[in-house]
Amino acid sequence: MENRPLEYDYTIAKMFMLTTIVLGIVGMLIGVILAFQLAFPGLNLILGDNLAEYTNFSRLRPLHTDAVIFGFTLSGVFATWYYVGQRVLKVSMAESKLLMTIGKLHFWLYLAVVAAAVFSLFAGVTTSKEYAEFEWPIDIGVVVVWVLFGMSMFGLIGIRREKSLYISVWYYIATFLGIAMLYLFNNMEIPTMFATSPAGETGIGAWYHSVSMYAGTNDALVQWWYGHNAVAFGFTVPIVAMIYYFLPKESGQAIYSYKLSLLSFWGLMFVYLWAGGHHLLYSTVPDWMQTMGSIFSIILILPSWGSAINMLLTMKGEWQQVAASPLIKFMILASTFYMFSTLEGPIQAIKSVNAIAHFTDWIVGHVHDGVLGWVGFMIMAALYHMAPRVFKREIYSKAIMTAQFWIQTLGVVLYFTSMWIAGITQGMMWRAHDEFGNLAYSFIDTVTVLHPYYAIRGVGGLLYLVGFLMFAYNIYKTMSSRPVEERELQSASPMGA
Amino acid sequence: MNKLYLWGIIVVAIMFGATAYTLVLTGGGNKSLTDILSGDIVNALAITGAAALVVITVFVVIKYVRQMQVDSATGDLADENWDGIGEYKNSLPTGWAVMFLLTMVWGMWYWTIGYPVNAYSQIGEYNEDTAVHNAKFEAKYKDITGDRLVEMGESVFLAECKVCHGINADGIDGKAANLNHRIDAASVKHVIENGSNNKLLGFEMPMPDRNGLMNANSGYAPITDAEIELVSRFVANGMTGEGAEVFAGTCVMCHGADGMGVDSMGPNISKFDTVLVTNVLTHGKKGMIGVMPKFDRLNDKQKEAVGAYITNISK
Amino acid sequence: MFHWLEKHPFFFAVGVFIAIAFAGLIEILPNFAQASRPVIGTAPYSTLELAGRHVYIKNSCNACHSQLVRPFKSETDRYGHYSLSGEYAYDRPFLWGSKRTGPDLMRVGNYRTTDWHENHMKDPHSVVPGSIMPAYKWLFTNKADIDTVYAEQLTVAQHFSVPYNQDVPMRDGSVKNVKMAQSLSEAHEIALEEAKAVAVDMKDQDVKDAVSRGEIPEIVALIAYMNSLK
Ligand code: HEC
Ligand code: HEC
Ligand code: HEC
Ligand code: HEM
Ligand code: HEM
Ligand SMILES: [Ca+2]
Ligand SMILES: [Ca+2]
Ligand SMILES: [Cu+2]
Repeated sequence: MENRPLEYDYTIAKMFMLTTIVLGIVGMLIGVILAFQLAFPGLNLILGDNLAEYTNFSRLRPLHTDAVIFGFTLSGVFATWYYVGQRVLKVSMAESKLLMTIGKLHFWLYLAVVAAAVFSLFAGVTTSKEYAEFEWPIDIGVVVVWVLFGMSMFGLIGIRREKSLYISVWYYIATFLGIAMLYLFNNMEIPTMFATSPAGETGIGAWYHSVSMYAGTNDALVQWWYGHNAVAFGFTVPIVAMIYYFLPKESGQAIYSYKLSLLSFWGLMFVYLWAGGHHLLYSTVPDWMQTMGSIFSIILILPSWGSAINMLLTMKGEWQQVAASPLIKFMILASTFYMFSTLEGPIQAIKSVNAIAHFTDWIVGHVHDGVLGWVGFMIMAALYHMAPRVFKREIYSKAIMTAQFWIQTLGVVLYFTSMWIAGITQGMMWRAHDEFGNLAYSFIDTVTVLHPYYAIRGVGGLLYLVGFLMFAYNIYKTMSSRPVEERELQSASPMGA
Repeated sequence: MNKLYLWGIIVVAIMFGATAYTLVLTGGGNKSLTDILSGDIVNALAITGAAALVVITVFVVIKYVRQMQVDSATGDLADENWDGIGEYKNSLPTGWAVMFLLTMVWGMWYWTIGYPVNAYSQIGEYNEDTAVHNAKFEAKYKDITGDRLVEMGESVFLAECKVCHGINADGIDGKAANLNHRIDAASVKHVIENGSNNKLLGFEMPMPDRNGLMNANSGYAPITDAEIELVSRFVANGMTGEGAEVFAGTCVMCHGADGMGVDSMGPNISKFDTVLVTNVLTHGKKGMIGVMPKFDRLNDKQKEAVGAYITNISK
Repeated sequence: MFHWLEKHPFFFAVGVFIAIAFAGLIEILPNFAQASRPVIGTAPYSTLELAGRHVYIKNSCNACHSQLVRPFKSETDRYGHYSLSGEYAYDRPFLWGSKRTGPDLMRVGNYRTTDWHENHMKDPHSVVPGSIMPAYKWLFTNKADIDTVYAEQLTVAQHFSVPYNQDVPMRDGSVKNVKMAQSLSEAHEIALEEAKAVAVDMKDQDVKDAVSRGEIPEIVALIAYMNSLK
């Protein structure tokens, strides 16, 4: 018994892989629609006048952000945890009935919460806070799902055979704690149905409505402490967890430097939280807090780049692998985009630069360098690595994968160059005065000038979506094509035509 | 040269091109690139930041990719190993470690010394900038008159007013006043029937409604529907056509012969003039078409200028 | 030490938690007492204005519009005085936004008017050629949810001492007393009174008729809110 290799149980990983793909398609499709709506506003009526309330840009935008963050990205995080966790802790989910039950509950409740969230956002039930739109009943659902995730994570850690925690596990733990803390504090709200009128009436109005515990500037502070770190613990920390596992695993290389891993991790943990003030530059938040946000953003470059450099150096001398494997290409480009956006962010966090960049599409460009080039690429790479192992079949087509890589890379490039132009142009036009000292442009002038760039962004987004559909198709075919031999695969994933 | 560097240079060139192109767009074709950059330090810093971002990322990444191509992995492996993944005990990359240390030292310095000693305040900065800006432009536009004033007025109009009055000042199909001529018949009629109280003279001086408007020609009987129709068209037609008698009998007292206005009695209703526009901008206006907001944030010179512009286009 | 932590997940987690919780304590807490004090001239939202604010949130106008005037000459020229912290004292949630696809609306009440909003919300393109803002036609038929507004007013008055039915000082030295109802039916009456004042300046006959029937279309509430932004 003892000597037989561990049989890892990927049931739950597979379920979350499915939602990663489905919600990825949904979220990105909405993203593409949004992009074209800004270029061609007629598309607000895409399903006709009667449904415009549900298909217009403003109703769809939170659906896009929440679908890609809480749907696509989180599913990806869960899927990879249920895969990576077992393997680096050297313990199988199958070893504990309890853990399996918790895992399944985790999945099904997650699905229920997603459904409720989609429904409520379409209905216009939102608190308006970015990335924290959900009203309190859904918040409660989110918290329960998160607690289940935590139980399942710490449960697995509790019964581990590998005494020492691998780097990826550090990052998964941080993800869990970070989001838990942030989400709780930013969603402090009082349901209004508990109010009693002087006439004695109770239970007045919509039962799901609530009012924030914080007001004005305070509310903004808490929100962007959350918003910034939702990026940290949703788009950075768990994705770093992924790359620390999947890149060395796929390439068969050892991590370049433990010390670099260590310093990057603790540096990131300590520095990230301070930088949230860069979302509030030139606002009514006190100057010293804004300054703090800017300073820490600059310092943050280093722990961020630390992980990326560690990954690039792990591939030292392995160029033939990069050249040969589209899977490794995805991860190398992901690291590169990670470096790009973690330098772009700090530069935009400099007060004078932010004076131009804030409120413009340059920020949207920065966002999508990160989410498309880094988060999206890494999650797809992770799933590509997992697929042959969880389905015990080789990846259906390497050719599709290669084509997909280039199509999506082009998509990202079109996205960020167009938003770069749009954002900087708009930022400077808003500031411009003419020879008489009057504003040089009315607002609408600064809107119409962007039309071509909005159109280009739409095309870029469409390419990315097409690539993602190719990815989905490739995974689907992988599930249904001929099984490969029943032996544990070591590094490089086997790929078909 | 390695292909990578070529690619790097191409990428940098593309992004520089894109960035330079933003300046072309921003200038609207009539400002040079250096003007835009030197006129506003914030523009210059943003562009510099953007440039630095591209250059640094591209060449640092190339540096590491070169190591993938030519170097080879070495070092002592740690004893541990997770799912087959090993770890080298390599020390920190020097450049990275030094930079990390430097930014931390800089951060501490900035926080404890740089920032407090500067005593920066964003409102203080705003006040200074605004004072400089105002001084600069006041010197320039204080004395302008004639065509230059009209030009300045056009610039205000295009930034502030076209949202309601339309780019041609035609009122966009009746959504706001058509400023190409003084007034529409429908508005005149509305004013006669309902009176008007918009401080068009700069102070409260209402025009009575139809019950207070008597026609001298008909023995001071209240103005009739037919007369209202006539005189409305007369006024809207620029004081020509039928209805002159009604006007003479009822309106002249306050609006003067030819409707040119009477001091402290009634505004000019035959033409726009700077005083009238300035009063509208200072007090706003509510009429048949809708409500025109007041524009506190324009200074006197800007109001005068836009008044000159409207007077000019409505000639 | 780190090697030890890596073998002891509990202490590892505690370490991570301390590292990440630290910043929040130091950065966020100090501002709380200070920022919640309203500046003179800031009054609580009236019933209809708050209803309009709900419409604004429901339709995520904040996805494209900010409500924060930064202290730059170019912004104060365009939008008016830069924002002051105390002006937001009754904003729950804050609506600063993070993207200006459309212009800032912090003080839009100063330079846009009822009839303009009406035209604009029905079809932005027809007033502002080239506008990419969606048309919001359904606001003209959907009814504002006054019940929920009233529940919110009660909640903030009770928990956050928002001064309804009290005199608050205005900039010109006068005082303003924003009424909150004693009962649900009174809340509807108050909102309707306000709605009538807005509808007078409107052109859409269906909306005017609805208001005279005692109904409050969302557009009326939204315009009341827009006009209150000063
Ligand atoms: C008792 C004096 C008086 C008489 C008589 C009078 N008006 Fe006026 N009228 C005024 C005043 C004062 C105003 C400006 C009111 C204001 O500030 O809104 C005015 C405003 C107007 C306006 C509005 C201008 C604008 O830009 O909106 C029109 C049109 C007008 N008068 C036409 C007439 C006509 C036509 C008659 C005769 C049938 C007439 N008025 C008779 C005093 C008078
Ligand atoms: C929010 C929309 C809006 C804006 C912005 C606006 N206007 Fe108007 N304006 C109106 C409306 C509506 C009327 C017609 C009022 C009426 O008589 O019914 C009007 C009327 C006027 C009149 C008076 C015409 C008359 O018959 O007396 C003048 C002059 C004027 N606008 C000038 C300007 C200038 C100059 C600006 C910019 C600095 C400006 N407006 C900006 C909406 C606007
Ligand atoms: C797709 C982005 C978008 C959405 C969503 C949007 N707007 Fe706009 N909005 C714009 C743009 C662009 C402009 C400038 C062009 C114009 O005036 O139409 C604008 C202008 C405005 C203006 C005029 C402000 C000014 O200073 O001229 C108001 C008021 C306004 N919007 C209110 C709203 C409200 C209320 C909502 C939600 C119900 C909303 N907007 C949703 C893009 C949007
Ligand atoms: C060193 C790391 C980073 C820093 C210092 C940083 C800094 C910034 C700054 C200054 C803004 C603009 C705030 C504004 O003016 O509105 C911003 C916005 C944003 N960034 Fe980053 N960034 C970093 C990395 C990343 C990464 C890696 C991602 C995603 C993968 C990301 C996602 C976002 C998002 C989603 C926003 C938009 C927030 C909003 O809705 O306004 N950032 N970031
Ligand atoms: C097919 C690809 C995608 C397209 C075309 C797309 C398009 C868009 C558009 C048009 C917006 C609104 C920008 C605005 O308001 O001006 C947006 C916002 C956003 N998207 Fe995407 N998106 C895509 C994929 C993704 C993915 C994969 C993620 C995350 C993993 C993501 C995360 C976000 C975020 C966080 C924002 C909010 C940015 C902000 O508020 O600053 N998007 N996207
Ligand atoms: Ca919530
Ligand atoms: Ca945003
Ligand atoms: Cu941030």
